[in-house]
Amino acid sequence: MISIIFFNLYMPEECLYQKFSVLFVCVCIYMFVCFLTGEVRRKSSFRQSPLLSAAPVRALIDEQISIKGRFLSQNYPVTVCAQMHSEEGDLWEAFAHYTTNASRSINLTSDHSVGGSYLGCEPMGLFWALEPALRSREGLRLRKRNVETPYIVNISLLEGHTSPSEGQSTELAAVTVERWYMAPGVRRIEIRQNKIVGTLFLPPGPGPFPAMLDLWGMGGGLSEYRSALFASRGFASLSVAYMGHKDLPGPPDIMSVANLYFKSAFQLLQDHCQVDADRIGVIGLSFGVCLTLRIATRIGVKPSCLICINGPVGSPLLDEDGKTKTIESDQKHWELDDRGRVSFRHVSLPDNLPAENKQKVKNITCPLMYIVGEDDLCAASTENADVIEEALRSAGKSQLFTRLSYPGAGHLIEPPYAPCARVSLWRAKPEKCELKFSSHCILLRIQYIMVNKFAVGCFWVFLFVCFSSLQYSLCGEVTPHPTLLLKKIPGRGS
Amino acid sequence: MDRKQYCVKLSVQPSRGLMDEKFIVLVQNALPGSQLTIRALHQCEDGHSWEAFGHYTADTTGTINVSEDPSIGGTYSGVEQMGLLWSFRPIPGSKSGLRMRKKNIQTPMEVTISVYQGHQTEGFADLVPLSGVAVERWYMAPGVRRIPVTEGGLTAALFLPSGPGPFPGLLDLWGGGGQLVEYRAALLASHGFASMAIDYLTAKITMETGKMVDNQYFETAYRVLQQHPQVCGSKIAMIGLSFGTSITLKMAVYSEVIKLSAAVCISGSHVQPVDGSVEEILRFFQKNGEKTRFSEKNEVIWRDLLLPIPTDPSLKVNVGRLQCPLLLVVGEDDQNWPSQESALDIKEMMARAGNSHLLTVLSYPNAGHLIEPPYTPHARSSTLKTVEIEEKVMCLWGGQTVEHSRAQEDAWKKMVVFLKENLYGGRNPTSFSHL
Repeated sequence: MISIIFFNLYMPEECLYQKFSVLFVCVCIYMFVCFLTGEVRRKSSFRQSPLLSAAPVRALIDEQISIKGRFLSQNYPVTVCAQMHSEEGDLWEAFAHYTTNASRSINLTSDHSVGGSYLGCEPMGLFWALEPALRSREGLRLRKRNVETPYIVNISLLEGHTSPSEGQSTELAAVTVERWYMAPGVRRIEIRQNKIVGTLFLPPGPGPFPAMLDLWGMGGGLSEYRSALFASRGFASLSVAYMGHKDLPGPPDIMSVANLYFKSAFQLLQDHCQVDADRIGVIGLSFGVCLTLRIATRIGVKPSCLICINGPVGSPLLDEDGKTKTIESDQKHWELDDRGRVSFRHVSLPDNLPAENKQKVKNITCPLMYIVGEDDLCAASTENADVIEEALRSAGKSQLFTRLSYPGAGHLIEPPYAPCARVSLWRAKPEKCELKFSSHCILLRIQYIMVNKFAVGCFWVFLFVCFSSLQYSLCGEVTPHPTLLLKKIPGRGS
Repeated sequence: MDRKQYCVKLSVQPSRGLMDEKFIVLVQNALPGSQLTIRALHQCEDGHSWEAFGHYTADTTGTINVSEDPSIGGTYSGVEQMGLLWSFRPIPGSKSGLRMRKKNIQTPMEVTISVYQGHQTEGFADLVPLSGVAVERWYMAPGVRRIPVTEGGLTAALFLPSGPGPFPGLLDLWGGGGQLVEYRAALLASHGFASMAIDYLTAKITMETGKMVDNQYFETAYRVLQQHPQVCGSKIAMIGLSFGTSITLKMAVYSEVIKLSAAVCISGSHVQPVDGSVEEILRFFQKNGEKTRFSEKNEVIWRDLLLPIPTDPSLKVNVGRLQCPLLLVVGEDDQNWPSQESALDIKEMMARAGNSHLLTVLSYPNAGHLIEPPYTPHARSSTLKTVEIEEKVMCLWGGQTVEHSRAQEDAWKKMVVFLKENLYGGRNPTSFSHL
């Protein structure tokens, strides 16, 4: 611009007319360019995002988060998308399609999804419907190993009805939430004493607390997250490993610890100064049910209540002392589908269980809650629940039995609002395999769970009622009927 | 220990909340009809301990819900969902003049809430509670980023919400105590505003050169914010408390550079020498220093320094020229600034000029000067070191705890609505009489 002015100033006089014309044109072009860039800057500074909010932004895993989008246009299609990375680095995502109304907003607590990972009104759908992003590794299951840190979930609002894999849409707004298994003040204590391999979680406060012994299935290892959540709800909780852990004796694929091991674990809780020795329950999932029943009947301890989730009343793999043989040692009841995936359901059908392997349920003296996923393809849960119910009925103990039964639910009934895998890798078997499928892995087929918050509500209420009823009967004072206690408990789900 | 004592269950939900978020405190499984004390304890950053407690009676189901049941004694009474936080007071034996303010906003405020047998009023340290939980209170939501700002000689901190943006911007100013006070900006960022807290009295440049900043300092802050790629440059507001109000009104009306979409002025005044620099304005206040009064407890009362509200237009910001919505928050028991008288005068000036549709006044009887984000304790007086006076004085802020705490909660809620509707909503500037 300046050089043009100088050039014009130094042109010969005769070109005065041309000089001013050129100058005039240059000035016009310059002003036009300025206007354009200013316009672009103004446009970008006018473009403004809507607002996406979540409350609370830091929640426990079993707490509902309310997600809202505001300052959108009317009748505007949007996609809400949740994304998070697992500890293994895999991307998990879920999304849902909504359309704003006259209030130019969306509220996931009351609005209906019309497409995506879930349909209908599902306030927590973005969390329980999380799935591995496309092209991820197969057979993934989301399980938190480090419970002292939260899951960080990024929730974004995208323009239009789209899916995250398309990757084309404009992100309008976002919010980050943390989801925790551990409440503030909960203490995590590694237990490696008396040959026990476990982790103890203590609630904050002086105690003494009621306690839970927390058992998982034959996948092995040490899962802490359910115990961490129990402690966040006021129960001291001890997760114990009984196979597949480096600190346990013997090969990883059999249980080399016996009845004495579980007795020690139970006694560890009893002896803990912050645990009420008279109020200790046991919870077991899958093979853990068998162990739970064994603990209640065979090893000389008296739990206050039992929770059994989708597991067998006995197992041919469990011998007299409580040790197991490997699961592959007896495959006659295995069922394979055409993709080479295994269902263990028939293994645990009561009819396929020798009588001597069934636990002596009639000897149970405490309340027992059995949770059934009716579409469980890993364990014959309904049939086993029937056996247990019948055994207690014949012993005149029906009042001890409670069943929660969920159509369409599968094997892994876990703490709520977390995804469950349809199929997950259970055991890798690199050597030769006589089955027709790929030699790389055996996959355990697990039906997709529709998380049911009513189950969770009942679950917590049941535990609460168990412990409260015990307290009042021990005191011999005012003994409110347990249902009275149910009335004023705020819905954590139900 | 008596068996029936250790079955009481205490829960607080959410256990990790933002500072302005309500929680539900629930006691269950208590003996019906039993007398219990619920107590909150917090140790602040400078090591002082604060406590609050309420006296309750468990109902027929053995339950106490603090959101629904009345406290019949303690540091608060009646049905007060958040009483355990706003009625915090230093524990007996603490020194006087304390004020709870968080400096490090990247960590939470940790509160222990416990239940005790009986209606206790003291000696909690020697009692064993029946139950206790830990609660975290955060100024920063997950994903909010804190960015120190030093360009252009600024001493500031920018808080950006999570997400792509662009976000509306906010310039956040505090008062005569100086320092870089970040917590309100962090909390506003947690609500979706790119907020810049600014130190303008004890800025690094002032400490090094001995010279007070002037208009250009604020205009630089505005420019830095406006030019940030994640800030919507045409939607910037300013919020000031106390002396911060003086700066906010001055910039809103007179700055050629700063074009605000909204302004929030808390506990301040429009009285100042128009065209005065920051230093000149401070000297103007000092000139009237002989109007300082003292309470019976020898606490400094500075509200008269600007009274009576002058009629001379050169001594008041010409609010008739304001072009953006203005929210004034006034504590009627403000003993530090004449905020109520100023608000009335502002209202008159704007009515005469014909722009009163831009004005909203929130006025709270028995609220004091320090109207801050909610659920933090009220300080009726506290020790203060201002930039003008070298030694600390005990300053009377005013306000009665209950009404002041209600004012904080109400004002904050309305302030956030005001900011959202003006900065996100894109409406035509108008007053918010519905607030």
